[in-house]
Amino acid sequence: MNNGSNGRRLKQWEWEIKPETSWWDIGILELYSYKDLMLQLARKDFLALYQQTLLGPFWALLQPLLTVLTYVLVFNKIIGIPTEGVPPLLFNMVGITLWTLFSEVFLQISKTFSQNAEIFSKVYFPRIIVALSTLWLQLLLFGIQLLLLLALYLFFIFNGDVDFNAGRMLLIFPIIAITAAIGFGGGLIFSVLTAKYRDLMTLIQLIIRLLMFVCPIFYSLAMVPESVRWLVNLNPLSSLFEYFRFAFLGIGSVNALHLLYSGSFMLLIVFLGILLFNKMSDKLMDVL
Amino acid sequence: MSKTVIQVEDISKLYNLGTIGSGSLRRDMQLWWQKNVLGKEDLNQNIRNGRKVDTNEHIWALKNVSFELKEGEVLGIIGHNGAGKSTLLKILSRIIKPTEGLVRGSGRISSLLEVGTGFHSELTGRENIFISGHILGMKKAEILKKFDEIVDFSGVENFIDTPVKRYSSGMYVRLAFAVAAHLEPDILIVDEVLAVGDAEFQKKCLGKMNDASSQSGRTIIFVSHNLQAVSNLCSQALWMDRGNVRARGKSKAVLNEYLSALYKKSWVKEFSTLKEAPGNDRIRVLYVELLPHLEDPLSVIDIRTTLTVKFRFYNATDNIVLSTDLLLFTLAGECIFDIPSKPKLYSKGMIEGECTIPGNFLNNGSYMFTLHFSKDTSSELFSYQECLMFDIADYRENTNWYDKWWGYVRPDFPLVLKPLATVR
Repeated sequence: MNNGSNGRRLKQWEWEIKPETSWWDIGILELYSYKDLMLQLARKDFLALYQQTLLGPFWALLQPLLTVLTYVLVFNKIIGIPTEGVPPLLFNMVGITLWTLFSEVFLQISKTFSQNAEIFSKVYFPRIIVALSTLWLQLLLFGIQLLLLLALYLFFIFNGDVDFNAGRMLLIFPIIAITAAIGFGGGLIFSVLTAKYRDLMTLIQLIIRLLMFVCPIFYSLAMVPESVRWLVNLNPLSSLFEYFRFAFLGIGSVNALHLLYSGSFMLLIVFLGILLFNKMSDKLMDVL
Repeated sequence: MSKTVIQVEDISKLYNLGTIGSGSLRRDMQLWWQKNVLGKEDLNQNIRNGRKVDTNEHIWALKNVSFELKEGEVLGIIGHNGAGKSTLLKILSRIIKPTEGLVRGSGRISSLLEVGTGFHSELTGRENIFISGHILGMKKAEILKKFDEIVDFSGVENFIDTPVKRYSSGMYVRLAFAVAAHLEPDILIVDEVLAVGDAEFQKKCLGKMNDASSQSGRTIIFVSHNLQAVSNLCSQALWMDRGNVRARGKSKAVLNEYLSALYKKSWVKEFSTLKEAPGNDRIRVLYVELLPHLEDPLSVIDIRTTLTVKFRFYNATDNIVLSTDLLLFTLAGECIFDIPSKPKLYSKGMIEGECTIPGNFLNNGSYMFTLHFSKDTSSELFSYQECLMFDIADYRENTNWYDKWWGYVRPDFPLVLKPLATVR
């Protein structure tokens, strides 16, 4: 076959289905054409979440509020963990808001295959659309919780308990982005693993619970004894909590190098997550 | 000449049996260790080299399937359960990957492997139209444009803001199909969705598909067990048999070949010795055959075909008043008729029988013959149950009714209508 007819041959077909997906075969344009679907799926999940419930979307507010109150009661009132002069309610609220973002993104995205097996086996669309819609929904829910946090923050500012610094506050945006992205990347990796090995789903619950204790959520990095500080430092999420708290309250031991570590970790895990997800998503359909 | 829109080249699909689903991490790590560290070949390695692995842990759901489809053609895929029809559709819809081979094509594909994909039972009909539409590949603007049409087609206007979990199953299916019916892809893939819904709705759906191909020139790939629908809708047919393409061509020819191969084998039963023949010490049935009066030996028994049943049996009793009944049952076990022979006195020996059932008498369906032998018309000697099984295919002219014709029998007694002079 000469080159001329070869060229025409390629032009004749718009798509191909081959046995293997290559590691790099990620169609950004194709993904963009599915953006309506992504938004619609997020909308569906949001509506379904609060269908036939008493309080509806208020749960998004009530849940962190109740958690914070419990934390304040247990960690500050009973155990007596100091909060560096910040009202315990606000101190914990800041940490929990960011933690909820991470844990929910991670958990929900890791369910991508196990919860959508039914749809995936009946219709094709890039599977990552579901993960993206989950991310989108979780960011939305996080937004609601952030409003609650801001309301609380405003209250304490007017009360004179904390001081506000607009420049410092800008830090929250990169912090939120990095936190969500780590949850996203980790979630993608675990979505592939749990599709293949169902019992890992229980492991995820465990990971999240254990991870929470090595994140400076209800304590700050400065309170951690030197002997075990390496463990908390090793956790790529730690610096994010410190910075997040710093942005709001102006306290905490922030270290740009530590943040760089978190950022690099994020890039790595998102990269690995997307590659693995993309490579495996077709293969997994034989297993689901 | 219209252009080729799908080209399937040597598609094969291998499935692992057994361990699948239980997903053992340990086993996978072991295999990985053997393959990558010790350099041993595992089973998967063999497959990639293109060699067939015939252990009972593997099954080729598809083997070297190739075909082409041109723009505007409607292809019907037929075959038994497990022939690989659904696997083929899933590969074409990009849900699963083939193990080997290549599919190339042009144009947007939508697949309809299930009615109501993506429906959420808690949400309203309105929300679900949007969700399902998006999942099936429609754009928001497209759905908005067709929204009223979809609601109209489904006939559930009054319940459009009710959660679909409160719908009757019929309403649910109608709404789901209505969304699907308004897809406008270049290539539509449909799997057995017409098995649901009532007859009237099925007719509406088939009509809609017919419009899609004849008016909009859409290419359709259609899997069905409803051979009548395949024969009416499809210009081309593909017969799948245990993962292979058994026949491909004009739908009438493929259907005929399929049906005759399917039923011919059970049309005769013959035994050479008395011992192996079914029966008892009084009666032995040595031979039963169904002889359809077909002009073309390749064609199938349809409702017009005259059928003759011949049989031969050995009577071991002297001076016996014997009669034989030929009974016809539907596959569901309902008796259609019982034709007795005249009771007569016979002596020991071979006896032959024959009965002819005229054409244009039985409706289409699956049937079984039973031969019943009795003494003095009352006491049973032997009953050879379900000795012949056969199918009667449908045949229709001048009708748009695609669903099963009603009734057990289908005589063509003349029914005459006469216009009366209008009284002014």
